[in-house]
Amino acid sequence: MNIAVLFRQVPDTEAVLKPDPAKPDAILEAEVKFILNPYDEYAVEEALRITEKSGGEAVGFCIGPERSEAAIRTALAMGLSRAVWVSEPAAVQADVITQSRILAAAVKGFSPSLILCGRELIDTAEDALAAAVAHFLDIPHVLNAAKITLTDGKATVLREVEGASLEIETQLPAAISTSKGINEPRYPTLIAIKRARAKEIKKVTLAELGLQVGQAKTRVASLLPPPPRAKGVRVEGEPAVVAGKGMEWLAGTAKVI
Amino acid sequence: MAGILVWAETSNGELRKAAREAAGAGAKLAEKLNSPLAAALCGANGDLAAKLGRFGFSKVYASTGPSYERYSSEAYCAAVAEAGARMKADVYLLGATALGRDLAARLAARLDAALATDVTEIKWDSSPLSVVRPVYSGKLLALTELTGEPKVISIRPNVFAPALEREQAAQVEALTPEDVRIRALVQKAIAAAQGAMDVTEADIIVSGGRGVKGPDGFKLIEDLAHALRGAVGASRAAVDSGWIPYKHQVGQTGKVVSPVLYIACGISGAIQHFAGMGSSKFIIAINTDKEAPIMEKADFSIVGDLFQVVPILKEELAKALKR
Repeated sequence: MNIAVLFRQVPDTEAVLKPDPAKPDAILEAEVKFILNPYDEYAVEEALRITEKSGGEAVGFCIGPERSEAAIRTALAMGLSRAVWVSEPAAVQADVITQSRILAAAVKGFSPSLILCGRELIDTAEDALAAAVAHFLDIPHVLNAAKITLTDGKATVLREVEGASLEIETQLPAAISTSKGINEPRYPTLIAIKRARAKEIKKVTLAELGLQVGQAKTRVASLLPPPPRAKGVRVEGEPAVVAGKGMEWLAGTAKVI
Repeated sequence: MAGILVWAETSNGELRKAAREAAGAGAKLAEKLNSPLAAALCGANGDLAAKLGRFGFSKVYASTGPSYERYSSEAYCAAVAEAGARMKADVYLLGATALGRDLAARLAARLDAALATDVTEIKWDSSPLSVVRPVYSGKLLALTELTGEPKVISIRPNVFAPALEREQAAQVEALTPEDVRIRALVQKAIAAAQGAMDVTEADIIVSGGRGVKGPDGFKLIEDLAHALRGAVGASRAAVDSGWIPYKHQVGQTGKVVSPVLYIACGISGAIQHFAGMGSSKFIIAINTDKEAPIMEKADFSIVGDLFQVVPILKEELAKALKR
């Protein structure tokens, strides 16, 4: 089974992020380390497990600026056979729906039975990719998979919603986004990292995909730090005393009792 | 004249809280834009359609029949899009619940819309309509202009005021979308334990971290959450140690929450965790380490052993709430 894995590079989860004073819609990138989006690691791992077990090729598709090569190499070192990369600014800056259209076009020639991506991009907090790509390819989608079982041209997916786990059956091909807990992503070995340097990364342009990107439908006007929190109250001492003060605060300030 | 359409997500035949909040936001927007406000309701849901007027809807587009007995992205998307086409909607509002996010994504692609998900603020008087949404898991807020038409907006649960109920009847229009092909369908729903509330919907969350020391320690956390009628949260450290399932994880690689009260027990408050709960209205931290980052950020911090403090708090709360 051929599998397309959609992934992206994002700032490290530990990074402290500040808006760029020169570009109000961007972060200061100078001191930020970038990584493969953590949820996309689950998608890469899931694709590798499926293709290792039952054959086929797992190919990566990435939209991102020049710095993204490191994340692409990481995905290749994990085991994807090759990668397709769209790095044009018009694609990189496009809104999520337009990016989905671009990825759908990039994936199409490969005709995968399964398209996998992480459940969310942790930078832009977008979680629409799998569903939107599925729409543009006219195939079904399932988001947030905690487990995928493949049988006879179908996939059974377990996903969590508020207060329940859903078992969803989907025909293939389908686009599925992966949640944490679906697997334990592998760490690439040194040999795998070395081998990944020789793997193919093919840059494609929007023109080659036959696409024109029009006016963005959404625009980040500015990035702002969250409002600072007021300085709090601190108590220490005997457990019964501090618990008592906690109760007073819950009743008096938070007013939850 | 533009129209505003709200997806009336239901739970056990009632309009879900997140949908009431979407209705509240929709009513405010409808007033600002002088637009009609309608609901798209999928599934039979008894006589709910007729009752939806009291949440401010003047019209309800109701899709019933076998395609709508269980959730499917494709059928629900077709129904909401059809309702939107009939009323010429230019704003679609949904609660950013698990299924609301699912539907918003497919709908936005289908309508080639401007999509903004998990919105925490709408700039009511802005043009083009602007919203605020947390990005980088809440480390920053993005003021986002929705320049395209139509607009699909999902709003974060627990942030917007729910619709004020009023005496109003809605006109119900039955709707049967034609191009429905269901290729992915919910086969089974396995309900979580009774009384177990999801962290994204809870007003109060009691959360445990490394300091809880193991699954047994989480019983204390659960007891306190139960006493407060809240949900149980956890840090990544606790989840990765296997003490509690992933669905409880709050933070950058878990869920982002905005409760009224967040009680962090034995959680150091790494930047990834704070990213997921920093917008809580009130934060209490209980930690033996007074230097832990969470202690600086909490509104009320208790320097102490959670194994001693939490049981006392639970007893006192049980007494107080009984009164």
